[in-house]
Amino acid sequence: MSYVFYPGCSLESTAKDYALSTKAVVAALGIDMPELAGWTCCGSTAAHQTDALLALALPAVNLAAASGNTVAVACAACYSRLKLANHEIAGDAESRRLVADALGADYDGSTPVKHLLEILRDDVGFAGLSEKVTKPLAGLRVAAYYGCLLVRPPAIMRFDDAENPTVLDKLMAAAGAETVDWPAKTDCCGASFSITKTEIVLRLSRGILAAAREAGADCIVTACPLCQLNLDMRQSDIEKKHGETFRLPVFYFTQLLGLALGLPASQLGLRGLLVDPLPLLTRKGILQPEKAVAR
Amino acid sequence: MTTVIERPLPLSTPPAALQALLTSDALSLCFQCRKCTSGCPVAAEADVKPHEVVRLVQLGATDELLASRFIWECTSCGTCEARCPQAVALPAAIDALRRLSRERKVAADPAVPAFNDIFLATVRQLGRAHELALMAAFKLRTRRFSQDFAKFPTMLRKGKFALLPKLSGDRAKRQRIFRRAREQRKAP
Repeated sequence: MSYVFYPGCSLESTAKDYALSTKAVVAALGIDMPELAGWTCCGSTAAHQTDALLALALPAVNLAAASGNTVAVACAACYSRLKLANHEIAGDAESRRLVADALGADYDGSTPVKHLLEILRDDVGFAGLSEKVTKPLAGLRVAAYYGCLLVRPPAIMRFDDAENPTVLDKLMAAAGAETVDWPAKTDCCGASFSITKTEIVLRLSRGILAAAREAGADCIVTACPLCQLNLDMRQSDIEKKHGETFRLPVFYFTQLLGLALGLPASQLGLRGLLVDPLPLLTRKGILQPEKAVAR
Repeated sequence: MTTVIERPLPLSTPPAALQALLTSDALSLCFQCRKCTSGCPVAAEADVKPHEVVRLVQLGATDELLASRFIWECTSCGTCEARCPQAVALPAAIDALRRLSRERKVAADPAVPAFNDIFLATVRQLGRAHELALMAAFKLRTRRFSQDFAKFPTMLRKGKFALLPKLSGDRAKRQRIFRRAREQRKAP
């Protein structure tokens, strides 16, 4: 299967660490994934809340440009918007007509869309992946957090079990980490309200952080730029507001997988995380103390 | 009825038909089990609960819904729809309510619509979202200058904000898409 990579806007800014670590991991695994030339924004939450046609046409421009390749996506929000657009365009003739009129060309909704986690599961395989692990994340207790957009609506996303997904847990197990059993895997972090309705984000993200800590996790691992930003950047605000200290590092799965594959920390964007993960990683012997100093 | 379950609410329904959509069969399958409200992350503080949204639509009481806080506090997490025994597509209905609420200029919350407009204007101009420009414009529009101000130096130092926007894609095609969307919204 040939891929084109659709990074999405977050990976150029707040999720730069996700972009860096994805690039490093994909290269290490020998997956050919050139960036989709001239890609544009999927429209995100703003489009579907504002206008029905924009919500379909903005993803469709990119899907049509993939010319038969499978679109590989890192961001859970882009993944959701691209798949929902495909579903609607392929299943509803009037939607397809409206999109064709807006784009100036027909698009039938058939470009395959896969999240990086699905590519690792289906193409590389977790058994194959664990063979490539040179530095297993032994002793690291991880809370695998999926959030909303990968799994819901389940009938369209068809990603994993919507209430108890396990793909990220299995990936972390392949990397040698231990994942905790916890109830907040698919709870909402407050998503795009980070700027507009911060108080909702603080309340919801606090619940997720508390559940991870309660389950005995050392850290959280995510596959979504919005989730990562809310749980990481908003942690200090939650601590301030509720007088509750978490100090739980929140990784992108590509960062932890990269460490397990023996990639240098400098290629994985670990410095970009706001809750410093280096004390945890050195305590667990995953990074050497001198390397942490040399960062 | 089965077709209703398979295709509960087409996302692409043109604005002219929004009113009809909201009173369509798609939401009539609800029998008020309240599973949606039980699982909703923001229902506890909501002025209208998710199961009440469906009931009010069934009763045709859309004015109350369009002016509710809840339609702007819903995080679009989709838990309601995923757990609904009748597969009622509540998130799509709430999106339709948001659009109609803006069309009628009765939106209870100014911040989220303002943010969405600025976001889309950036995408229309540049092709991609640009967070720094987005934040600046949002702060100017909503006068929330102090919020998160202390975070800027850290975010900049960590390289979390791209300073310059990147222009991408076919601008003419994008203008056409936004123009068509506007025409559809204005269509009778």
